[in-house]
Amino acid sequence: MILVIAEISSGGKLNRATWETIVGAQQLAAALSTDIAVLVPGASVGSVAAELAAAQVKEVVTVEHAALEPYTPDGFTAALQDAIGQLAPSHVLLPHTYQTRDFAPKIAARMDRALLTDVTGIKAAGSETAFIRPMFQGKLTADVVPLGPAPHFVTFQIGAYRVDQVVKGPAPAPVRALSVTVDASAIREKPEAPFQQAKQAVDLSQAERIVSVGRGIKEQANIALAQRLADALHAEIAASRPICDAGWLPMERQVGSSGQTVAPKLYLALGISGAIQHLVGMKGSSTVVAINKDPDAPIFEIADYGIVGDLFEIVPAIIEAVKS
Amino acid sequence: MATLAFWVLLLAFMGAFAAQVARRVQLIGAAPNTFSLDHLGVRTSRFVVDVLLQWRTIKERPFTGLMHAFVFWGFIAFGGYTLTEFLYGLGIVDLTHAGWFHAYRLALTPFATAVLVGIIYLFIRRAFVRPVALGTTVSVESLVIALFIATLMITFLLTFRLEEGTTAERVNFWVHAVVIMAFMALIPASKHLHLVLSPITVFLKSTELGNLPNLDFEKEQVGLETVKDLGSKSVLDAFTCVECGRCQVNCPAWGAGKELNPKTIILQTRSALLAGDREKKLVDVYSADVLWQCTTCGACENQCPVGIEHLPVLIGSRRGLTSNGEAPEYLGAMYNNLERRSNIWGLGYDQRTKFVASAELEIFDPAKHDVMVWLGCAGSFDADFQKSLKSMFAILRTCGVKFGVLSKEKCTGDPAKRTGNEYMFQELANANIADLKAAGPKKILTSCPHCVKTIGDDYKKFGYEVEIVHSSVYIEELTREKLAVDNSRDKVTFHDPCYLGRYAGKVDEPRALLERFGADISEVERNRDNPYCCGAGGGLLFNDQEEEPGTRISDVRFKQLQATGANTVVTACPFCSIMLKGAGASAQSDTQFVDLMTYVNGKLQPRA
Repeated sequence: MILVIAEISSGGKLNRATWETIVGAQQLAAALSTDIAVLVPGASVGSVAAELAAAQVKEVVTVEHAALEPYTPDGFTAALQDAIGQLAPSHVLLPHTYQTRDFAPKIAARMDRALLTDVTGIKAAGSETAFIRPMFQGKLTADVVPLGPAPHFVTFQIGAYRVDQVVKGPAPAPVRALSVTVDASAIREKPEAPFQQAKQAVDLSQAERIVSVGRGIKEQANIALAQRLADALHAEIAASRPICDAGWLPMERQVGSSGQTVAPKLYLALGISGAIQHLVGMKGSSTVVAINKDPDAPIFEIADYGIVGDLFEIVPAIIEAVKS
Repeated sequence: MATLAFWVLLLAFMGAFAAQVARRVQLIGAAPNTFSLDHLGVRTSRFVVDVLLQWRTIKERPFTGLMHAFVFWGFIAFGGYTLTEFLYGLGIVDLTHAGWFHAYRLALTPFATAVLVGIIYLFIRRAFVRPVALGTTVSVESLVIALFIATLMITFLLTFRLEEGTTAERVNFWVHAVVIMAFMALIPASKHLHLVLSPITVFLKSTELGNLPNLDFEKEQVGLETVKDLGSKSVLDAFTCVECGRCQVNCPAWGAGKELNPKTIILQTRSALLAGDREKKLVDVYSADVLWQCTTCGACENQCPVGIEHLPVLIGSRRGLTSNGEAPEYLGAMYNNLERRSNIWGLGYDQRTKFVASAELEIFDPAKHDVMVWLGCAGSFDADFQKSLKSMFAILRTCGVKFGVLSKEKCTGDPAKRTGNEYMFQELANANIADLKAAGPKKILTSCPHCVKTIGDDYKKFGYEVEIVHSSVYIEELTREKLAVDNSRDKVTFHDPCYLGRYAGKVDEPRALLERFGADISEVERNRDNPYCCGAGGGLLFNDQEEEPGTRISDVRFKQLQATGANTVVTACPFCSIMLKGAGASAQSDTQFVDLMTYVNGKLQPRA
């Protein structure tokens, strides 16, 4: 049996990387002809467990304990070690998040089992199954077969699998609770209340969609047009340096080497020429759509979709299309 | 009796002089030795020009400089006179009645007059005009010394009027002699120590602007951390400083209202040394904010008339901070980019490969190509600068030059070197040198002045020597026989990049190119070998501070360029281009920016 450890972000929501790990688990389960259980640790995880039950897995196991909220590496290690002992899986799969980076080595070391981190894929290696992981800062990849007794711990790189490829079950998987013993007095960490040290009042780095304006917007009054598009797309509005220097948008909305570095799923560049110092601030965006009058604008070098034309014609058309 | 009194007085004042000088010599001796005497020819000619002819003093402030030169030349001329008078006063030998001495005295009178004129002017300037470079408070001791010098000249001139043996003549003689002795005792603790030290300091100044020897990690060198780490040349510099403020008024950071003042750096060094706390951290002497405001433009060091080198202190202290993980956050991001992707932008090298393909560049082969083109971080990734490079390629092809590029390039390490990340610099330099040695170019052509400095000067310290030329120089020579396709004249202004005009001294070539191809240059203030920085150097391109003291350096420079009235600014460095375009865009101006290569190419080929 393969055990996936789900991760709950602060705020009680499921970390989407868990779904990616389930995709990896489904691929591994097919290769090994085995089934999957998803373990959800936390203080109160009912809704997340129900959400995960949609996946085609054998079961969802909840491990609820007061000592698991807030997160501490000692608490998680104790609870999960107990749960893994009870469930006896062949593999324990986790998303390679900051949290698992914190506790996965601890559990693996405690149980004296192999741990493969930052894995990007699975492949058959003769009769064995190998895990692919980058080496030397991604210059090489290694196919690694874990040795020693089960379970083997594997963490998957974020983005190694796509969430939309998860296989959903015909009916929700059964959810059951597993009780574990955690000696609360053995937890040495005493976390403070979490806080976010926001560099700016507006944290664009977390935005999923960004509508960004450059000098092509021409005048301050036209910012409203970009704002309407941003509203229609449920996007944050941002800008290149000249716009913020002119005070048309606050400084905290500046993207680029002297502003924020962003990585949204959609970056819509309106009238931005794409000077290098702007590009380096948004190069991590998944999809870049650029609208610019100048067909030679550097922004088109990195845009996935480019529209050469007048943004004052195109943007209202997009707003209409999004609304309808 | 008089002879005895003379002996006593001279020994007392000389003792005071020697005791104060010994303290400073001891501090210089205790510092790690950074003196060098390489390039003796260059040093000697610089000594003649800057010390004897006072060129660097006169160049920037012609009138004040000339007045200073009057005083200096007078001092030299009076050397023999003072010696003769003292030999007489000490009762050793009386040559004052020799025939030649009379002629010598007569010959000295124009000098005395010139010194008097000079010192009165300098006194008025310091006491009443008080230019900002001299600081906010009037230096009383400087005024006293000016009065001393005036007294010396007046007492000298009076000797022609007073009959020998009279009381007045005797008093005059004694006033002259005692003032010289008192002067001597005042020198060491004041800025007038430059009288003694500046000829030595000028001679010992590195022949390379911004000379930063490699750190030796085997010897666990990590840069300058505490007062005791300051090199002997830096200690000598601190005692040589004449506080004229040329470094200050030429510093772009100071000019834009930042806290950094290069003169203050030197004076803080002096105070810290004399305070004797050798373990005091340099960051507490200068402050971190100040150290990170330097663009490494080199104006301070280059304008200094007494041979002071500021950059080894500023960048050396940055090395100490960076080695301890105390670099500013924005540099951390840039270092990550250099470490992971070997370029400052953190972009993938597939983009360079794409550019090499789209520009139809060949991989360098010494048997096939005349010259290797070094693209640099900007040329490899900045689509905007790649347009200028494509212009350069077009010119090269038009002129039949065969050229190639390396299949891969890393950043030369300039931003790491200038921000004190020596370890990363050496990693990048070693990797590039290995690739360059394998490719074997005799000559490298690049459009990035920073790459010229790093490959040309810094790589030499690894034993790798190659001729590297900036495109302005190479294309100027290449197109000497070519003419512009149209006869129109454009009014433009040219922004000299610091690393081209000041560091490499190439100021005539870009102008010759521009003029040949139809430009009428409206010169901007601060040009040629003393340009005002664009603000990008020393890692400040990556500065992401929202709030900074004063204005942006790039905004100050852009205003200066705008003031020329030219609507086109020609640039010759990718970083200047980025900074100035940004400033222009923020000022909502319609000023056009064009790279020198694009300008020339536009005039070489008929437009379709």
